[in-house]
Amino acid sequence: MKRILIVDDAATMRMYYRSILEGAGYQVDEAVNGIEAMEKSLQEPFDLYIVDVNMPKQDGYSFMSELRGRDLFQAPALMVSTEAAASDRTRAYAAGANLYLVKPIKPDELLTNCRLLLGEVHP
Amino acid sequence: MNPLLEQFLSESRESLQGIGEKLMQLEKDPASSELMTELFRFVHTLKGNSGLFDLPELTRVLHAGEDLMDAVRNGVVAYSPLLADRLLDAMDFVGMLCDEIEKHGSTNAKHIDNSVRLAADLRQLIVVVIVSSDEVACAVATPLQPQNSNPASQLPLADLSEEIRMTAYRAAVSGETLHWIEYSPSEECFFQGDDPFFQARQTPGILWGGIAARHVWPALAELDPFCCILDFTVLSTASLEELQEYYRYVPDQVRIIPVPGRFFILPHGDPNGGPVYEDFVADALGLLQSGNMVGLTRATRSMLELSNPDLWLSAALRWLLLVTEQEPENVVVQEVIIISLRTLTHPDWHELDASTPIQDGDAVTPRFKPAKQTPEVTALIAAQREVLSMPNDVAWLAGRLKSVAASLSGCLQAIVSTELVASMDVALNESLEQQTSVPLLRWLDSQFEQTPKADQPDTSDTIYMPETVAVPQADAAVKYGRRSEDAYVGPKSIKVDQAKIDRLMNLIGEMVVAKNALPYLAGRAETVFGVRELSREIKSQYAVINRIAEEMQDSIMQVRMMPVSFVFQRFPRLVRDTSNKLGKEVTLILEGEETEADKNVIESLGDPLVHIVRNSLDHGIEMPDVRRAQGKPAAGTIVIRATQEADRVVIEIRDDGKGIDPAVIKRLAYEKGIIDEERLERLTDQEAINLVFAAGFSTAEVVSDLSGRGVGMDVVRTAIEKVNGSIHLESENGKGTCIRLSLPLSMAVTNVMIVESNNQIFGVPMGIVVETVRIARADIRTIKKNQATVLRGRIVPLKSLNMLLGQHDPPKANEEDELAVLIVSLGGESVGIFVDDFRETVDIILKPMTGVLAGLSAYTGSALLGDGSVLMVLDMKEII
Repeated sequence: MKRILIVDDAATMRMYYRSILEGAGYQVDEAVNGIEAMEKSLQEPFDLYIVDVNMPKQDGYSFMSELRGRDLFQAPALMVSTEAAASDRTRAYAAGANLYLVKPIKPDELLTNCRLLLGEVHP
Repeated sequence: MNPLLEQFLSESRESLQGIGEKLMQLEKDPASSELMTELFRFVHTLKGNSGLFDLPELTRVLHAGEDLMDAVRNGVVAYSPLLADRLLDAMDFVGMLCDEIEKHGSTNAKHIDNSVRLAADLRQLIVVVIVSSDEVACAVATPLQPQNSNPASQLPLADLSEEIRMTAYRAAVSGETLHWIEYSPSEECFFQGDDPFFQARQTPGILWGGIAARHVWPALAELDPFCCILDFTVLSTASLEELQEYYRYVPDQVRIIPVPGRFFILPHGDPNGGPVYEDFVADALGLLQSGNMVGLTRATRSMLELSNPDLWLSAALRWLLLVTEQEPENVVVQEVIIISLRTLTHPDWHELDASTPIQDGDAVTPRFKPAKQTPEVTALIAAQREVLSMPNDVAWLAGRLKSVAASLSGCLQAIVSTELVASMDVALNESLEQQTSVPLLRWLDSQFEQTPKADQPDTSDTIYMPETVAVPQADAAVKYGRRSEDAYVGPKSIKVDQAKIDRLMNLIGEMVVAKNALPYLAGRAETVFGVRELSREIKSQYAVINRIAEEMQDSIMQVRMMPVSFVFQRFPRLVRDTSNKLGKEVTLILEGEETEADKNVIESLGDPLVHIVRNSLDHGIEMPDVRRAQGKPAAGTIVIRATQEADRVVIEIRDDGKGIDPAVIKRLAYEKGIIDEERLERLTDQEAINLVFAAGFSTAEVVSDLSGRGVGMDVVRTAIEKVNGSIHLESENGKGTCIRLSLPLSMAVTNVMIVESNNQIFGVPMGIVVETVRIARADIRTIKKNQATVLRGRIVPLKSLNMLLGQHDPPKANEEDELAVLIVSLGGESVGIFVDDFRETVDIILKPMTGVLAGLSAYTGSALLGDGSVLMVLDMKEII
């Protein structure tokens, strides 16, 4: 089963992603900030990351670049933000995200992109 | 309710609470960027969450709040008390909507007006600054500057009719500039006096205009007619300066994109059918190269007559005719159109700079389009291209490259193009060696610009070449042998529905009662069945069960414990608002917020505390000038302190206001008829102050001329006594007042005394029992039909429990003709109750009366005893 880590400080968003992803048969874990996410990743790498930009302690960008800085973690990462501006997207890509989605994200949009990034044929 | 919505509501409450707290702190420390960042994050999280649901009113207000806080955080807008007020108002509104959602599952549409107003209020604070700051105004205006011709290639020009496009093209050839204007009026534009439709229609040089809804239309019932959700698009021949001038009032809502004329050359129609064009393409290219424009035109016309006008090819031919007619010297454009006749794809104008001659037909060959390529795939590939074009000088470049490869390989697998993975890995290795994304980017461009040929050599056997360092997924799987159940770390705390804990609580209560049956059983084993050993074994087993049950009860109580901060947290806001309203200056100090008590106790504290603090603010703390005149600091202080003393929580509310004047209280109590003249003489000051707790002391007229306090203090006392608490008031005239509330840590176990009357047993809460005495029948006096006795020099009225419960049997006396009297204290007065006999005191789990029995006001509840019998616990206040 593919493992996905949700990194978001908002419990509602985590629950939302989790319900969608678990419904699609993925194994989902959560972290409330970059630091916790890194700890969890070090225990066992994930197949895909869903990372919120705005988080306390360590924001999504610096978590992303730290993740990419460790040679073990080359799993695709999807960054999520409410900012649609091109500069924010550029920052996410520079930090090492592979896809930048703007909230609110519809279940279909999330699932399709996760499936693509995980290399699963869309049913 | 759906669990996601529930989660949203509970998190929203936390966020709202956080916003309130941060604003309070910010008031003291307005320059703290840390606080502002936290504040922003709270609003941001709330808004982000609200986007998951269809709650337009909520989102509108939160969006405005987020924008405002973003401006504050970035230093564009300075923090001000006005800002705090507006934000608090807005958050109150959000809280109200949350309540409504919780109750009805949705918000009422009538809130639209309020939400628009609140959002406008918040935005107004941002706008003020933008207008006053040139720098920001410039920044807003930048989108007007044409950056490059790239944006034009993204425009939906194909949606325009051929006629319009041809007109536009002609205009461009004749030297006019073409601009595509995207005008997105703000939702509140009508309130700002804008008329977007008129504005768009009157655009100078308008060729074409379009209107589209920004998002899906809401249902008619929810539609807000005052909210503009339309986007306008206009194609204009006016110059950039002219357009900027025309849209100068809404520069932030307008995007002006220059469009080169040839971008309009887009043939459209049915791509299937029509005669064979290969010959025509060859002929046309020959004619073009020889410069025979007349011949080309003639050939094109005759071809056009042969073709169905709806075909894509016919459209391309029409364009060819037009271009030949308008700019016969522009051979490059004509050549591209002719070649497109062969490939049946749109000419790719944005890649073609008119000055660059085309080398061969490859420049316009179609892009890679596998059968399964969906918009998502295209977007994903475009995103990877963007990632690869980021600067290479970062420490995490290798990770970034590998992640792109991983994403692409996932994507390729998903669209079943795995044969491309091998060549991608080669490019990835090259990229990793050279520490630059160029090789990978080149590979991406090559693969997704050229059609993969069917006869491409089969590379599947070279997919995992030995030198391939990173084949992300397969490699990782081997390295870590990951198993889903390994190393799963669950959350450290969980949220549990209160009903579940209550159920546990009830069960442990029953368990304690059932356990208490064991000693009874042991007694029977010995006395009835005469088995002493069995009796002893039961007793030792009872000791074990007793210990476990007590620990269990203790643990469950712990679960229900919560800190008093739960009720304290509302006070900073309450004190701020009330003192502002009254024009007083008050500093609130909270201490011991982490002190814990049972949830029920904490909850019962809320209203009385609010009452007391309001009293302090209203009647205790004086106006600043009065305080100064008395030599006190202008700002009053209210301290709320919680401490734990043995098995009780003590809450102390202390203010340094004017205190209570006993003389005034005495006079008022006398005037109200609460005390008589004789008592007035004997009353000590402390007793006088305690009169504020007397029922009927506080009424509206008293408040108006009362110098101290006393508003509904009897209500406070009743509420506190209901949870077996006590209240104590100390006041020094002119110095301040201190109220102490003492509450049990837990209400789960009630200590009661069992009394017997008329062959029944009843429980009386120990909290009100003063003493038990036996009085000789001779000592009972009858005063005006009422019985009384003198106990330690005081007259104590006597009542019979049987009479109070509507039974007429007289109380039984013992051998010495003494009667058992239970002295209870009710509202500071002692009353003696005749009972037949006293029994032991027990700890019981009191269950309130439910259903039909709930109407029996004589009882506070019932409890099960160890032998399985039911004990009714009396509510003494009700029956006397």
